[in-house]
This record gives sequence, C-alpha cells and structure tokens, in this order.
Amino acid sequence: MLEPVNVTLESLNLMTLTPMLIPIIGALLILVIDLFKSDLHKSLYVMLSILFLFMDFAVLANTSGVVAQNGTLMGVFNVMHIDGLALLSQFIIVIASMLFIPLALTSNSFHEFSYPEFFALFLFMISGFQFMVATDNLILVFVGLETSSLALYTLIAMHNRDKSFEAAVKYFTMGALAAGFYSFGAMIFYALTGSVEINQIAAVLSANGYADIAYLLVGVVFMLAAFGFKLSLVPFHTWAPDVYEGASAPMAGFMSIVPKIAAFVVAMRIFEFLVHSGIVWLEVILYIFVVVTMTAANIWALVQNDVKRMLAYSSISHAGFVMAAILIGTTQANSALFLYWVLFTFTNLGSFSMLWISRQKHIPIYQASDHSYNKFAGLIKTAPVAATIMALFMLSLAGIPPFALFWGKFYMIASAVTGGYTILALIMALNSAIAGYYYLKLIVYMFMKEPVQGADLYVFTNNASLSLRTIVGVAVMGTIFAFVAVNPLLEFITAFVYNSGY
Amino acid sequence: MELLLYVALFSPLVGSLFASLFGASKKNIIAGIVPSLLLFTSLVASSILLAFVLSTGQHVKVEMMTWMATGDLYIPFGFLVDQVSVTMMMVVTIVSTIVHVYSIGYMDHDKSFNRFFAWLSAFVFSMMVLVMSDNFAGLFIGWEGVGLCSWALIGFWYHKESATWAANEAFIMNRIADLGMLIGIFLVYWNTGALQYAEAFAAMPGLEHATLVWMGIFLFIGAMGKSAQFPLHTWLADAMEGPTPVSALIHAATMVTAGVYLVVRANPLYDLIPSVGIFIASLGAFVALFAASMALVNRDMKRIIAYSTLSQLGYMFVAAGLGAYWVALFHLMAHAFFKALLFLGAGNVMHAMHDELDPFKMGGLKKVMKGTFIMMTLASVALAGIFPFAGFFSKDLILEVGFVEHHYIIYSVLLFTAGLTAFYSFRLVALIFHGEERYKIFGVHPHEAYKFMLIAMSPLLLLAVTAGALKMTYFEMVTAVLPATEYHVHSAATYWIMTIGTQLFVIAAIAFAYKKYANSSVKVPDGTSAIENRLCYKVLWNQYYIPYFYEEYFVKPYRELSSVFWRYVDMKVVDATVDGIANILYTTGEKTRVMQNGNLSTMLRWMVVGLVVLLSLAVVFGLAVRHSDEISLFLSGLGVK
Repeated sequence: MLEPVNVTLESLNLMTLTPMLIPIIGALLILVIDLFKSDLHKSLYVMLSILFLFMDFAVLANTSGVVAQNGTLMGVFNVMHIDGLALLSQFIIVIASMLFIPLALTSNSFHEFSYPEFFALFLFMISGFQFMVATDNLILVFVGLETSSLALYTLIAMHNRDKSFEAAVKYFTMGALAAGFYSFGAMIFYALTGSVEINQIAAVLSANGYADIAYLLVGVVFMLAAFGFKLSLVPFHTWAPDVYEGASAPMAGFMSIVPKIAAFVVAMRIFEFLVHSGIVWLEVILYIFVVVTMTAANIWALVQNDVKRMLAYSSISHAGFVMAAILIGTTQANSALFLYWVLFTFTNLGSFSMLWISRQKHIPIYQASDHSYNKFAGLIKTAPVAATIMALFMLSLAGIPPFALFWGKFYMIASAVTGGYTILALIMALNSAIAGYYYLKLIVYMFMKEPVQGADLYVFTNNASLSLRTIVGVAVMGTIFAFVAVNPLLEFITAFVYNSGY
Repeated sequence: MELLLYVALFSPLVGSLFASLFGASKKNIIAGIVPSLLLFTSLVASSILLAFVLSTGQHVKVEMMTWMATGDLYIPFGFLVDQVSVTMMMVVTIVSTIVHVYSIGYMDHDKSFNRFFAWLSAFVFSMMVLVMSDNFAGLFIGWEGVGLCSWALIGFWYHKESATWAANEAFIMNRIADLGMLIGIFLVYWNTGALQYAEAFAAMPGLEHATLVWMGIFLFIGAMGKSAQFPLHTWLADAMEGPTPVSALIHAATMVTAGVYLVVRANPLYDLIPSVGIFIASLGAFVALFAASMALVNRDMKRIIAYSTLSQLGYMFVAAGLGAYWVALFHLMAHAFFKALLFLGAGNVMHAMHDELDPFKMGGLKKVMKGTFIMMTLASVALAGIFPFAGFFSKDLILEVGFVEHHYIIYSVLLFTAGLTAFYSFRLVALIFHGEERYKIFGVHPHEAYKFMLIAMSPLLLLAVTAGALKMTYFEMVTAVLPATEYHVHSAATYWIMTIGTQLFVIAAIAFAYKKYANSSVKVPDGTSAIENRLCYKVLWNQYYIPYFYEEYFVKPYRELSSVFWRYVDMKVVDATVDGIANILYTTGEKTRVMQNGNLSTMLRWMVVGLVVLLSLAVVFGLAVRHSDEISLFLSGLGVK
C-alpha cells in the first residue's frame, strides 16, 4: 500500500513555472480563437504573441529581482532551477522573440504567416526553450528540447517551398539522431550516479573521485554529440547550412540565436563542472571543437556564393567562437558569452532581417539562388540606405570597432587571455581576420560593383513595411550604440553569472 | 582667462565645422560670413589675452585633459599663452580674419566657396594649436594639421593638374622634413623624459653636448621643411597654385613662419648649442640671397612674392640663429603684415587681369586700380625697409645683429640682399602699375576689386606702416621669456653711417628698378632679347636648375627603385605570399565543401563518424588511465621518461 504523498503548495513554489506557462497559455488562446473564427488577419496574432511575450518578460524581470535578492530559486520538487544563467538566457530568448515576431508583418504576404498555428507553435517553442534553461534536471531538459525542436521543424516547413520541406525533414531526422545521443548520454550519467540532476551528478562523481572515468567519458561523448548538433559544432553542423537556406530568412536568424543560447546554457551546466574537475580529455576535445568549428566554418563561408549560406556558416563560426567560453570556464568568460550573445542577437537578427526585406517571390534569372551575391551588386546606387545598413551589420559581424560585436569579441578574447589560453586567443583573433574577408566581400559587392542590368530596383522599398523598418532600426541602434551599453550590461550579466556560481 | 583661451582656440574650429556643413551644397554666403565672425571673436579673445599678458606679465596655462597616459608616457593636452605665443596668436588671428573677409569677395564666383572656408578655418585652428600648445606633441599635431590644410588649399582647384602636383609636392617635402622633426621630438623625450616645453628645457643643460646638437639639428630639419629653407624650398614657389588668399595667409604670414617659431620656442636649446645657431644663421643668409636672386628675373607675380617670402624667412633665421630671438619674432610679425598685404594686392590685380600672372602683360594699372596701387606700393616700401615703415625697424635690426655679433660676411650678404629686395619689389610694382598699358594688347578690361575687400585690407596697411613704432613695447614684453639682448652699434657714427648708407643703397635700388621698368619701352619678353639669352639669366630663370636636378636625381631614380620594388619585391614576394595563404584557405574551402553535399545520408553519417571518433578517443583515454602504470613502465623501458 503506497503512502499518499503530502505536498504543500508552498513547497512547490509554482511561481517558478509562470514564465513558461505564459507562452503556453498564449498559444492555447490563439488556437481557441482560430477555432471560433478562422479568417482573422495575421496582425492580430502578431499582436497577441507580442503581448504574451511582453507579459513573459515582465514576469522574468520580477523573478530576476527575487533571484538577485535571495539567490537561486528552486521549485516543483527541485526540478525547476531558476538561477542567473536561466534568467539571462530567458531574457535573451524572449527579447529575440519579440524582435522576431513583428517580421511576420511584411507587405508581401507569405505563406506561413497566414496560419494562426504558426504563432501558436512559435509560443510553444519559446516555452520549450525556457524549460530547457530553467532546470538542471536532464529529463526536463530533454522535454524542453523536444518540445521546442518539434515546433521548430514545423515552423521551418511552413515556409512552404521545396527547400523548406527538405530542410525540415533533414533537421527532423538529424534531430532525432541527436535526441537519441542525448538520451543515451543521460542514461549513462544516471547509471553512474543514480541521479538525473546535474548538481547531484556532480556531487556523486566528485564523492567517488571520478572512479569510473571510462564510462563517464562515454556519457560525455554522447552529450557532446547531442549538443554539438544543437550548437552546430563541426562535424555535427551539416544540417545548419541547408536548414538555414531552406528556412525563411528571419527564421534562420532566429535559429542562429535562440536555440543556441538555450543549448549553451545547458552545455555550460553539464560540461563546466567536468572541465573544472580536471578531466584533461574533455578539455582537449573541447579545445579541438572550438578551433575546428571556428576555422572550418570560416573557410567554408569564404567560398559561398549565397549570402544566406555565408551567414549560416558565419553563425556556425560564431558559435564555435563562443563555445570557447565553456572551455575557459571562468566567470569572466561566461559573462562574455552572454554579452556576446546579446550583441550577436541584434546584429545577426538585423542582417537576416535585411535578407528578409529583400525577399523576392520569384527568383530572377540572373540570380543563382535567392540571396546570391550579385543580387546585392551596386546596391549603394539603387538603395543607398539598405546598403549602408547591411554594410553596418557586416562590419559589426566582422568585429570592427565601435560596432556591437567588436565588444563581444574583445571581452571574449580578453577572457581567454586572462584564463591562460593565449594560443586560443590568438587563433580566435586570426579567425576574426579571416571572417573579415567574407563580410567585406558583401560590402565590396554592394559598394563597388555595378548593379546587374534589369535588376528590380524596388525589392527593398516594396517589402519594407513599418514594422520591419522598426525592427531593423532597433537592430541598427543596438549595433551602433552598443559601446554605450556594454559596460552596464556586462556588470549586470557578471553579477548574475557570478551569483549562480559559474 | 581660461575661457578666453578656449574661445580663441576653438572658434576657428567651430567656424570650420559650420562651413563644412555646407560642404556639398551650392555657394552659400553664410558659410563665409560665420567663420569670419568666429575668427573675429578669436581675434578679440586673443587681444584681451594680449592685454592681460602685457599688463600683468603673467602666463595663462590650462590643462584641458590628459591626452595620453600609458606607462611612463604622460602627455596632458595643455595650452599656454605667454608672451611668445600671444604674439603668434595675434598675428594669426589678425591676418586670418582679414583674409577671411577678403576671401568672401575673392572667392565670390567660385563654386567651391563653402569648401574653401571650411579648410581655411581648419587651417587657422591647426595653426592656433601649433602656437598655443605647451608641449612638443601638441605642437606636432598642429604642425601636421597645418600641413594637411595647406595641402588641401594648394590643391584647392584640384581639377588643375599643376595644382594637385604642387599640393603633393608641398605635402611630400614637408613629410620628409617632418620625419626629422619627429626624430627630434623623440630625442627630446628620450633624453629629458618630458614633452612639455618647460620641463624638457629645464632638463637640457644637464645633457651631453652631442645629444643636444642632434636634437637641435633634427628639430631644425622640421623647421626647414615648414619654412621652406634650402634645399627643401622648391615647394613654396609651386604652392602659389593655390588661391591667392591662401598664399597670403599660409604661404606668407603664418604657416611658413612656424619654423621660425619653433626655433624661437626652443631658444633654451639653441642657446646651448651656438654652433648649430651659426649654421642656421648662415643657411638663413644664404637663402635670403638665393631666393632674392631668383625673384629678380621671374615673370610670375605670385612667385616673385613667394621668393621674397623665402628671402625674408632667411632673414628671420639669421636673427634666430644668432640668438636674437626677439628680433626674429619681431620681423616675423612685421613681415606677416606687409607680406599678406602684398599678396592680397596681387590677388586684386589677378582678379582684374582675369588670372593673368605675368606682370609684363600688365602695366599702367594705377589708373584703374588706385587703391590697390597705393597699398601694394606701401607694402613694397615696407618690405624694402624704408624709414619709417615696419620693415625698416625689423629688417635693419637684423642687419645690426649681424654687425654687432661680428658676422661681417652674413652682414654683407644681408645688406646686398636688401638692395635686391628693393629692386625686385619695385620691378614688380613698376611693371604692374606704371608704364604703358600693355594689357590692352590682350583685350583685358581691368577693374578694381570690391570696396569691402579694400577696406578689409586696410588694417594690414595700417600695421605695415606703423608696426615699427611698437618695437620698444614689444621688446619689453617678449624679453620676459626670451633672452633680452639689445643690439647697439657701439659708436654713434658707425650707426648713422650704416643706417643712412643702407637707406641710400635701398633707395638707389628702387630708383634703378623704376628707371628700368617704369618707362614706355618695356615690351612683353619673347625670348629674343639679349638679356634673356645670358647665362646668369637662364640660371636664375630656371631656379638654379634645382627643380630639374631634383627631378633627375631624386624623383626618377626613386621611381625606378619603386618600380623595381613593386615588380620584384611586392608582386613576387609579398603579394605571392599573401595570395598563397588566401589560396590555401580558399582551396581548402572548395575541397572540403563536398562534405556539404546536401545528402541526408551523408549528413547522418558525418554525425555518426564524429561520435565514433570521439568514442574511440574516449576509450583510448580511458584505457590509458586504467593502465597508466603499465604504460609508464613500458615507456621507461623504451627510454622515455
């Protein structure tokens, strides 16, 4: 006869669940509205999504106040684990989503945004990511990961082009494999330690002095493969270029930011305690991952003929660059990771939005693909403002001061140097130099080439609705005036990262 | 007082920025008026500072901000107004205000009117930084700033090939000299550990003599470039390609005197190394004669005045080299006034003659251009050094310095040059204003300049006439910071003989010039007359063949060398290396991109490959840990520790 379990409501601390529940409620509401009245305009759903994301943001802000005072919050049988990392990453997730959703309001109507399900799925995905970062329970991480991934596959497919279906199927298949890796890894951890909570695992492992190192490494390998897939580390990156190309431009930009920050946080939780406990093997492997991902992705980006694919590879390279923080593992490095990602959010979302604005319904003959370089040839003459903005984002991505990403790279390399990884810092700097080439290549196309004969001069002006302009404007402001915000932002981030013990 | 200092310094900058706002738009009179007003503000502020310094004898010193602080290097951005810099400030602001107002009329029909004022005011700002800085670093910033503005203004009419060429020549010549200057500044910092004038000079007496000599030489090389001393003089005459107000402001009154200012400013250094001083003085005397001789035969109105400037700079260096710093500065000031006046007058003539520069094609212009005629004549009188005009007081003083210091060769050279100066100045005046109206052959209808331009010039006229009277006041003021040596010829008889003799000599030269060029028999030379075929004429006409020499022996070999470097070193080594690296990266990319062939099976395989590789590494590592004892035993058996 089982004893009835007595649980008081206070001990559950349900408040920890609110940020995730809000988007879920929003998604359900959208579905219900659609059930009753199906032909509503997409702007309603956009507004509803923004409203719920805003509420989510407000709750997060409130929670962050509590966490700043009382330290880490635990709830729901200690499954929820709201610390500084969870909050920072949720802030990034929610803000990036708020910047993403208005991009649905193009002047040209595109297929996916006419479905209300798009917005519902989007909100489900957000709550999935939030679950992923706000726990150290491997099972809940898995649930969050799968919730968000499944939603994401569908969202990609909704772009409704052949390439999108292809991308979605590829992503789904490889994602399934990665999920298998993840659960296998989690299983090994559980078998070794009898727990699925990362801090418990760490405690047990250090208590027995890492006796079963060989088995542990097998588990770590599976985890590495799973997160290598999510973070698109070479050689688990193969999905990224195809999926980015198949997805709509803003979706690609979104994918380069939000899923990755969620994965970074989980990777930070899992790998850093292992690196700190002196597993040299992991350190070496992470080092190789970082260097290979940065360099190889950069070299591939050099030879792309399509701007979107170039940006895809560049995003992979950026991910490798930031992965260095997990290897270095100091508070400074982890803070630099979040700073980098905030700045990257503005710049990368901005550049993908520019691609989105230049989206054509039919690809003209002179273009090999939707965003081939020659589409941007001579842009300074046909659309000077667009060309300048695009150039600004490219300069920022290349890390040219004083634009946003310069500061990210700067603090990241500085943390590598203070962490004692001088050679790594050198490799990072060299890679930034290589990356400069392909970003500047686009600028050369825009500023120094003649426009292609018969090019559509109004691509940019036609598609740029007010909301798109606003988003691009926000991204531009964030990129240019980053230098004002960097210091307070870094202080804010460092306080949170430090308080959560990373 | 500090506020006034900032006002004096930054008003020109504001003016420049204001005018540059209109840079790309059509001519807007506001773009001329506002900078002029701001310069006038700067002039007023400088005058108040002058009055303050004059009445109290105190200096105004501000430290605006720390400019650089890395390690031991600490350079505050400081400014200093003392008796020397306030003199320069007055000269700069007076002449530039006048030139600005004048330019509103002169550049009236130019379509780049706004751009002109942006650069002109930027020049004034740089010049103010140069003279007001209290350290060598600030001086150098101003030094480069004026160089840049001078480049932009000489090449102002950039569509003219000759203008861009002249601009580049000036810029490159100055860069060569600036290298010397920079080395000098490094030496100062290296040996004294300070860049502030006060601290650096205070440390100098304790240094080795040889070090000081090198410092003095390298700093003087900088001065030689900016003040166009031989052998870096060729750019100044070519710089006349710029608009005439630019010539008046930059290439007569202010920038070219920066070299003299530098030597005067560094007087504690040059006092310690009299041998370098003698060299400076000798070079100055040589340049005075050398430039004056070239002015004798030249047929370009502006170039004649430019050579005259060069010659007068030589005089200033004589004074500075002989330790008579206050005399040099005084001549600098007086010269600025009458030379600027002369240039602006020449500008009027040029306008009247539709940019004709050959005075032989003019003649008899006094009837139509009375105002300009009077002004240019008086300016020439002042330049020739006739009592009681400004030139008499300042230039004769330099002669006296040479005499009193027993440098009789220098003295005689300068005396002879004074005669030449008088001759070529009045040759010019006679050719332009007297004699027959030769311009009629060319169908030109000259007209006088705008009235406000003449009114703008009148303060210069006043100063050119009266500046000499300020000599004693001036002496008392600047000798607070400069060595106070009075130069008196011992016996009164010698003094009077010298003075009157010089005056008579100069007057004779003037009379000769009038006789020769003011009559009706002057023809436009056509290369056939006897004098034009004489050797000495040809040598002078070709500027001693120095430009030719430079072209043949510096420019051409340099070009050859550059071409060799380009073809063999740059293309074959540097470019090949860089391209090689890029190609390696690129081909690696091309070769490995097949990894991304879009095939789902391949992609999945890659993931599994990655996993398997990691796993096998983990297994190897795990086994290695487990069997570490055996492995180390095995390795030690192999001799590996």
